[in-house]
Amino acid sequence: MEKLLAARLHAVKVRPYLADALFALHIVADPSVPTMAVDAYWRCYVSPGFVARTPLEELAGVWVHEVSHLLRDHHGRGERYAREHEEYGPGERLRRNIAADFEINDDIYGDGLPLPGAAVLPSLLRLPDGLLMEEYLRTASMSSLAANLAWLDCGSGADGEERTRELGPDGAHGLTRQQRDAVRFRVAEGIKGKPGDAPEGWRRWADEAFHPPQPWRQLLGAAVRSAAGAPGVGENHSYRRPSRRSASVPGVVLPSLRRTPPRVCIVIDTSGSVSDSELGSALLEVAAISRAVGGRRDLVTVISCDAAAGIAIPLCRAEKIELVGGGGTDLRSGFAQALRSRPRPDVIVALTDGQTPWPSAQPPCRTVVGLFPRPARAMNENDPDYVPDTPPPWARVVTIG
Amino acid sequence: MTLSTLLSAPASTAADVARTGAQLAVADDLLTLLRTTTTEPRPDEQLDALTLAVAADLPVLLWGEPGIGKTAALTQLAASLDLPLTTVIASVHEPSDFSGLPVVGDDPAVQGVPMAPPQWAVELVRAGRGLLFLDELSTATPAVQAALLRVVLERRVGALQLPPGVRIVAAANPRASAADGWELSPPLANRFVHLHWVHDRDVVVRGLGGVWPRAELPRLVPERLPEAVAFARRAVCGFLKVRPTLIHRLPSTETRRGGAWPSPRSWEAALTLLAFGTAASVSREVLALLVRGAVGDGPGLELLAHLDRMDLPDPETLLAEPASAELPERGDLRQAALEAVVAAVGARPERERWEAAWAVLVRAMETGTADLLVAPATTLASLRRDDWEVPEAVERLAAVVGLAQRADRSVERATAAEAGHARGVRR
Repeated sequence: MEKLLAARLHAVKVRPYLADALFALHIVADPSVPTMAVDAYWRCYVSPGFVARTPLEELAGVWVHEVSHLLRDHHGRGERYAREHEEYGPGERLRRNIAADFEINDDIYGDGLPLPGAAVLPSLLRLPDGLLMEEYLRTASMSSLAANLAWLDCGSGADGEERTRELGPDGAHGLTRQQRDAVRFRVAEGIKGKPGDAPEGWRRWADEAFHPPQPWRQLLGAAVRSAAGAPGVGENHSYRRPSRRSASVPGVVLPSLRRTPPRVCIVIDTSGSVSDSELGSALLEVAAISRAVGGRRDLVTVISCDAAAGIAIPLCRAEKIELVGGGGTDLRSGFAQALRSRPRPDVIVALTDGQTPWPSAQPPCRTVVGLFPRPARAMNENDPDYVPDTPPPWARVVTIG
Repeated sequence: MTLSTLLSAPASTAADVARTGAQLAVADDLLTLLRTTTTEPRPDEQLDALTLAVAADLPVLLWGEPGIGKTAALTQLAASLDLPLTTVIASVHEPSDFSGLPVVGDDPAVQGVPMAPPQWAVELVRAGRGLLFLDELSTATPAVQAALLRVVLERRVGALQLPPGVRIVAAANPRASAADGWELSPPLANRFVHLHWVHDRDVVVRGLGGVWPRAELPRLVPERLPEAVAFARRAVCGFLKVRPTLIHRLPSTETRRGGAWPSPRSWEAALTLLAFGTAASVSREVLALLVRGAVGDGPGLELLAHLDRMDLPDPETLLAEPASAELPERGDLRQAALEAVVAAVGARPERERWEAAWAVLVRAMETGTADLLVAPATTLASLRRDDWEVPEAVERLAAVVGLAQRADRSVERATAAEAGHARGVRR
């Protein structure tokens, strides 16, 4: 027991941001567990024999490993995966456990936590590091590993299948869902508060733990739709012509539903830093969405823009347009060009990687920015202090990809 | 077909009608049998949350995929609360159906143009009580949503004031499934308590078998009301004093649009829900669903974490009676409580208090694991003044020191091994 606690202290020392989670675990001694295992209620089952034969440093790594299963909600995700793909059974359980271990093991060790000899790594199957559990499950069969790793068992906290030996939801010292969320939230906030201390993988987890990223297509669609449908544009009620219901209720003034197709102008950043495939998929998406909101094809125009803006091309020809350009970007000229076109657009959709100056004033129409994310260190070589401006607050920003 | 068959057709109708009628009666019997379901009391967090919010007279918005049983749940709820249910599908209505239909009278310049309310509103007012269910909210046009603002907030439909006995529940499909839906405008979203409606496998299977969970009104304990209000006020005010930036925060990122967000209005809703939840002694899970639904996930979770902290024993009480100190079972909370004790000593360092704090640590050592004590004990030791003697109790914490040293040595070994490994690789 004392060795186990010293190992927990070691883990807290080298990973201070996980301290709350590590201390929230309730230890249960259980000789029937092969090594260490967790259940979904934050109990940690430990085999005394395993503790006795494992070096202290490695035990610390196991602590962090087990708590990572819980923080990353592997039991919930494992269960969801099993339900979606209808994959149950002991073999599948093991597969989920291995995939979850892959997700954890490729980034928690090092920096004071030695890699245990028995740890399973994605490189065993020649898989790349840094994927999610679901991605490993989809891409690899893992059947070649299963025979060698049959002993591997991180408990229901890792794969979502309850074991008979576990105490279950009603047993003593379990955490309720609210308490689990609270611990995870505190850890995530701690990492976000001092992002310098935690490695990349944990920072990404903290950002997404409570706000899982949504598919950009839906977000972009919603943004364009609501921009194109805002009062004054698109479909709305109008008193300009009486409703057809008016005939049956004399004396009552009824509005009618009128559709004014929105004019959408897409400004595309064709500078060297945006790839063609990224642009292609985003452009198709915007065109499909603008058609869906009632824009006729000739009301959707495209402007390709690098340092200078091209001319606005109606979309019916744009399907074959060559996106000319390259080099630096100045989206301001694109915006100016879009606003100069007659009739003026109701919505401007800018597709860019954000490495550009932005117009200083809000344009007189709704603006949606589809942003291709770039790592923060993509800097100008001539000017190391150069930081690209963030999109202005008046634009609705959707991160693509 | 010959003329004779055509002519003979009416002759057979009488018998046919009788037979069809009998068949339909049998079909009706079968339908009645199928629709006869019973209910059972069953712990169902989302139903409890919905019932509590309805009881607290806050407008609720159910988010859920089409066909998930939102309407069925509402029908159940109305039946068990004995309220007549009025369903209005927002997306097929016009703004004037909610703001009132302008009726031009004889002399508008003198009498004005009255805004006539629609029939459903008149009937609701006549009944004096009821459950108003606004379905398909997210597919309503922006103008209809704007008109609904007044219904939901001021409870007015045209010139008509809805009576206080009317409760409002709305339903919307999430953006992912509402293919061509509008999104909810932030002002409208802010007026609702958002509940995400998901199906529970067991509830569905059991319900199709004929037994649905029963919604029960939360049992408010009359004696606890003043205490509940005091608790809710203390919790929300105390929290917002520490985190003033959370008082008002418009949703900024695209993912959070259309959902709950914190504002003075929604904090008031959270306060109401906390008071109701406390008076009805609902579980923290239900409370979490409601609070997160009122002010959004992040602020809601922070408030709940604040509640956890409020549950911690008061450091001064612990210092006054160290021998019988009741410390929380959970490790992270226990450590937080001990750190609070040490911080209290640091704020007013006196010798008796310092020694009492050591006694608290000894008590913690006897009732729980030792590794939690390392950080508080280190801080407490550093608070020592020169003329204070180390109390005897510290001797009993020797195991803690041993543990800390063991961990330190292990960290050293690990870093040394890493450095050695790195050198080996470089060579």
